Amino acid sequence: MNLSAHPELLSRIAAGYALGSLRGPARRRFEAMAREQPSVRAVALLWQSRMIGMTELQSASQPDPAVWTRIDNLLRAQAQEQAMQAARGAAPHRAGAGGWLRSLALWRVASATGVLATLLALVSGNSLQQEFALEREALQARLQAMPQIAYVAVLSDDQANPSMLVTFDPAKRTLTLQRVGGFREAADRSLQLWALPPSGGPRSLGVLGADQVLRLSAADQDVREVPTLAISLEPKGGVPSAGGPTGPVVFKGALIRKQS
Amino acid sequence: MSLDSADPELIALLDRVALGEHAALRSLYERTSGKLYGLALRVVSHRDWAEDVLQDSFLYVWRSASSYRESLSPPLAWLGLIVRSRGLDLLRRNTAQRSGLTQELDEVLAETLQADSANPMDTAQASQQAWALHQCLSQLEHRQREVVSLAYIRDLSHSELATQLALPLGTVKSWIRRGLDQLRVCMARFA
Repeated sequence: MNLSAHPELLSRIAAGYALGSLRGPARRRFEAMAREQPSVRAVALLWQSRMIGMTELQSASQPDPAVWTRIDNLLRAQAQEQAMQAARGAAPHRAGAGGWLRSLALWRVASATGVLATLLALVSGNSLQQEFALEREALQARLQAMPQIAYVAVLSDDQANPSMLVTFDPAKRTLTLQRVGGFREAADRSLQLWALPPSGGPRSLGVLGADQVLRLSAADQDVREVPTLAISLEPKGGVPSAGGPTGPVVFKGALIRKQS
Repeated sequence: MSLDSADPELIALLDRVALGEHAALRSLYERTSGKLYGLALRVVSHRDWAEDVLQDSFLYVWRSASSYRESLSPPLAWLGLIVRSRGLDLLRRNTAQRSGLTQELDEVLAETLQADSANPMDTAQASQQAWALHQCLSQLEHRQREVVSLAYIRDLSHSELATQLALPLGTVKSWIRRGLDQLRVCMARFA
């Protein structure tokens, strides 16, 4: 049937369609006609847009202020996650930024806070800068909230790409490892962190899980006087400390005591 | 009609949200959350659920504000459509899980319908298009208006409306048919 020739019937059906009272096979037939015939489609769209007005006519009511707080928190968390992903994804591939990142002197002179901000600033290209401004603030606030970061290390792979950021907080006796490169071990492998003291063999500090950020508990003496940290690729679950690493060392870097 | 002046401001905010400006989302929330929360309450009839719907909707707006302009809708109508569809999604999920609670809410709705006073329509912030609809809905008898309005806001079929409002199916059908006929004639004057 050519509905266009019956304007009153067409508008009646279109109004029922837009309201939602036209259902079942009749609704599907009307939708098919609207797809085929622009004149039918125009009336359907007109009634849809008229009915949408119904959503504007409901009485206002004030929501609990906590709703905005939740929205804001979720957006900030999302933004941070994106910034971290961008940092991880971009760091090893940006030649320009690489030189800076490789320079351990930079890590020595800057506070950990400044360094992470610099890292993010370097890897987030111009187009992303604006987007990351807020995230940087949030990250800085979080880092400043950390009581003490007494040691910092950037572990790099054999191409000198930074791959792991390690910090040690003696107050909390916590080593925090954060993956900053794209490296992912196979499912049947684990990464294991080793202290390489000046004398004696490597000492295991712990085995890394798949998480982006990993915290290991460690005593001050585990870390003090250790010039270098290394990460080896081991069988799933790691190997005993006494035997030392059995797999290849994938990342390595100097452990720097922060002057503060 | 003079209230239309809110539209350019909301459109400008949506443009800024599309560029990723958090502050613009905050402003948009401040200007529209009362209205949209009222709508969410009407769809889901439950404060906690309505808050979830509002939260969901604004997260969606954050991701999708760039598609606002191609909708060619008044800004509040576009936002209203998002809230309604998120609310309906939540109702469908929760109805499947907790039919007892929604039944309780339906009783509240049925009482609203029995009451003498009409559910107040609110034209504050309404677009010109919504204002026209308001003029035409105002001409309907209040229970008829309530049934038409519920049919749309909660996407209910004739038989669902009859069950939820404890009305005979024939009554619901004829109220909707007559209501739509009156709306058609009336809205034609504004086209």
